[in-house]
Parts: sequence; C-alpha cells; structure tokens
Amino acid sequence: MRAVLWAFCGLLLVFLIAPILVVMVTSLNDSQYMEFPPRTWSLRWYANFFGSAQWTGPALLSVRVALVVSVCATVLGTLAAVGIVRGRFRGRQALEMFLISPMIVPIVVMALGLFFLFSAVHLLDSPVALTLGHTVVATPLVIVLVRAGLRASDPALELAARSLGANAWRTLIYVTLPAIRPSLAAAAVFAFLVSFDEVVVAIFVGGPASTTLPKRMWETIRFEIDPTLTAVSSLLTLVAVFVLVVAAVVRRPGKRGAGLTV
Amino acid sequence: MAAIPGRRFPRPWRSGEGLLVLPALLFYLAVYLYPLSRIAAWSLFERGFTLKFYRELLDEPMYFRALGNTLEISFLSTALCLLLGYPLAYLMATTSARARSALMVLVLIPFWTSILVRTFAWMVILGNNGMVNRTLMALGLTGAPVKLLFNMLGVQIGMVHVLLPFMVFPLFAVMSGIDPNILRVARSLGAAPRRAFRHVFLPLSLPGIAAGCVLVFLLAVGFYVTPALLGGPGQITLATMIEMQINTFLNWGFAASLGIVLLLVVGGIFAAFSTLLGIGRLTGEA
Repeated sequence: MRAVLWAFCGLLLVFLIAPILVVMVTSLNDSQYMEFPPRTWSLRWYANFFGSAQWTGPALLSVRVALVVSVCATVLGTLAAVGIVRGRFRGRQALEMFLISPMIVPIVVMALGLFFLFSAVHLLDSPVALTLGHTVVATPLVIVLVRAGLRASDPALELAARSLGANAWRTLIYVTLPAIRPSLAAAAVFAFLVSFDEVVVAIFVGGPASTTLPKRMWETIRFEIDPTLTAVSSLLTLVAVFVLVVAAVVRRPGKRGAGLTV
Repeated sequence: MAAIPGRRFPRPWRSGEGLLVLPALLFYLAVYLYPLSRIAAWSLFERGFTLKFYRELLDEPMYFRALGNTLEISFLSTALCLLLGYPLAYLMATTSARARSALMVLVLIPFWTSILVRTFAWMVILGNNGMVNRTLMALGLTGAPVKLLFNMLGVQIGMVHVLLPFMVFPLFAVMSGIDPNILRVARSLGAAPRRAFRHVFLPLSLPGIAAGCVLVFLLAVGFYVTPALLGGPGQITLATMIEMQINTFLNWGFAASLGIVLLLVVGGIFAAFSTLLGIGRLTGEA
C-alpha cells in the first residue's frame, strides 16, 4: 500500500517538475524548432536574450519596478501589520480583513479597476502605474508575513524598551523591527517576486512605453513563438530557485516568521 | 499593576500604534477601493443610470456561457487537485522528516516558478510538434498529432499544475496536526488500516479539504493566464472575456459588469465558506 502511495506521488512530482526541466533543456537548442531533446546544442537563445534590447529593456524595467514595489509594499505592509497586531482600537478586525482582502479579489478584477483609474488620470502605459498596481497586489502578502512574525515575537520586549524611556519610534526601529527581521526579509523578497512575475496588471495598464518582461513574454507567446522564450523561462526559474534557497537559508537561524508558503 | 480587562498588558501609551495603519489605509483607498468603485460605476452608468450591461449579460448566450465555462473549469480543477493532492499531502504528513522536506522542496520549486513560464512549458510539451505528440507518433500510436492544447484537456493540465500546491499546503497543514496516536488507538482497537483511515484520519482532515478546495476554487474562478493561453474558444471564461472586452472590443461598460459578476461569485463563495469554517483559516491565520 505504501509503495503504491510512493509511486503515485513520484509520478505526481514528475508531473510538477518535468515541464520546467523540459523547457530548461529545450533552451539549449541550436535549432529554432524547440526540439526535445535538442539534436545540436548551443547558447544562442541566451545570446539572443542578452543581445536584444527588445528583451533586456523589459527585463531592466521589471527589475526597477520590482525593487520599488518591494520597498513600498514592505514599508506600507510592515507599518500596517504593526498597527494591526500591536494597536488596540475599535474595528481592528474589520480593518485587518480589509487590508488583506486584495488577496481574494481576482487579479483580473484588480487590473480592470486599475485600468479605469489610470485611464482617468492619464497614467496608462507608465512605470508609475505598474508600480502602484503591483504594490497593491504585494502589500497584503507583506502584511500576512509580518503579522505572523509579530505574533511570534514577544511584546514584553517593547514594553521593557518603553518603560526604560524609549519613545514609540525608537521602540519600533530598535526593538520591534529587529525582532522580526527574518519576516521582513521574506516579505521584501516575496514582494519583489510578486511584482517581477506579475503579468495581468501589466497587460491591462502597461503598453509599448512600459513593457515588463512578463508582458513581453506574453506578447511573444501569443503572437510569435520565439525560442528565446525558453531561455527567458529557464533564467526566470533559476532566479526563483535561487531566491527560494536564499530565503530558506536566511530563515533558518531564527525559525521565526511565516512559512515560505504564505 | 492592575490589568485592564481584555488587555494582556497595561499599556496606556500604546494607543498611538494603531495609527501606523494609516499610510496603508490611505494607499488602499486611492489604489484599491477607488478603482473597484470605478468598476461598479462603469457597469451602471452610461449617460445616466442603466442596467443594460447586466441585461446584455443575461441576453447574450455567449456571455452566459463564459460564466458557465468559468464554473465548470473551476469545479473540475478543484476536484482534480483534491484527488491528486490528498495522497501527496498524506504522504508528506506521515513520512520521515527528511523525506518530508525533500517532497516540500519539490512542491515549492514549481510553486515559485512564474505561472507564465509553466504555462508556456506546457505549450512546448503539448503542442502539435511537442514532445508528447512526437513520442506518440514515433510509437505508432497515432498517425496525426492529437489535439492536447486549446481545449479543456490543455486547460485542466495547466490549471492543475499551477493550483496543486495551493491544495497540498492547507491539506498538509491540517494533516500534520493530526496526532498519530489516535490512529494507533484505532488500530489497537481492531480497526484495519483502511478502516482506521476512513473513520479516523479522513474526518480529521476535513478542515484541510475544505480550506484547500475553497482556496483552489477561488483562485481558479479568477484565473486568467492559463485559460487564455491553453484554452480554445470553448474555454472562454469571465476573466478572459473581460480582457477581450477591454483590449479588443473596447466595451468598457460591459467589461465592468463582467468584473462585478466575477467579484460577486468570488465574494459569495468566500463569505459562505468563511462563515462555515471561520475566517481565520482562509486568511492565512489557521
């Protein structure tokens, strides 16, 4: 019985992992027909990616937007999480629900709303619109991660700091936040990844002047399948795996904060 | 120090900390709540109040089909994720710590890989010139390529691939909290393994099943990328229809009414299950 279970789960994991591996191997093709396994090998699609402004431009924009989103979402989300967990005020729970609610709103609906908003203020097709949109998507995630870290940390430390004469700001900066550093790091990393991978908001509010890497990939998939996509895909996967490993290593010492799975 | 009822610590100076929520709140009002209200406004006004965008939704069979497709695709992928994910979560919860972390990593790698990348991977594999079709033809099992993309099969393969981790994580969280001694008691009282599983383990894992199904269903209902790329004309969903209305037909009012319907579907499911299960389980509080 146990053997059957292992066999079943083994197949399931092959199903989960194999497509990613197949694309990675296919990216090493010399032919433009995306053969698997490749008959002749080369790195020409990687060269194509790094050598073409059509790809590097969007990639740089994605990195820039994701960095700003990571900072904005982490600051907004962390402050909000501290307010929710440590504050005592009426309607706290309803407010908490509201602040997390973007997580259950379908991304298409969010993107549609943002499209209406930015068309009204003439910001469509601008990096600013993308940054604001991605920040709304990433902030609830930050709140959830930081909230978990705060609940696991000891409020008595802050009480001690306050009773020793530190004001609210000093307590926040020197006691509260350092105590949840692993959660903050995880939150910043995940906010970055959410923005970096985000495609639906980019489709709705982005345009020729603000094409992110996922948007460029989207257009390429839809209109002309270009083997460069396989190279981009494996690069993105490597980045994600790298970040995952770093996050796991960073999180290890304290064992504090939320899991990688949100 | 006298504790104030309902508070863990006396903290007269603490009252200010709630104010830290304000920046996020203001930001949400401008970039989250206001856009949502714009959707409602676009769906209800066109030179004055009108319900025509909603009436169109009921009258035009194609739009009604989009709603039906959305629900069909979501139900099917939720069921498939449960069927496939339950054994995996069970194995993770009952195996050694070392094997568990290995399994966890193998689930997390695809989880953190971009959805676009994974969907594209399936297009490469399942296409007419893809690996699957060429293998089938080389084996002589089929003369012409089998259609694996741009139909329900393609959508389900892609959706299950993306959504499976969202089923496995809540299932695993609940299952790993089940005390193995309870199962041992059942066994020692004479229950066969199968019976112990069905009457003890399965009922105890129900909260995980519920949480996983709600999560996967909610995500599936609003899913855009995978149905858009792997589906055909028969798999047009509310989400893909909204995008078409904006970028192809330029019918903003109608896109807005579709958005509101999608929001209501999601909100309804969420409200129903959060009252049934308790809100915490769905917002990641567990």
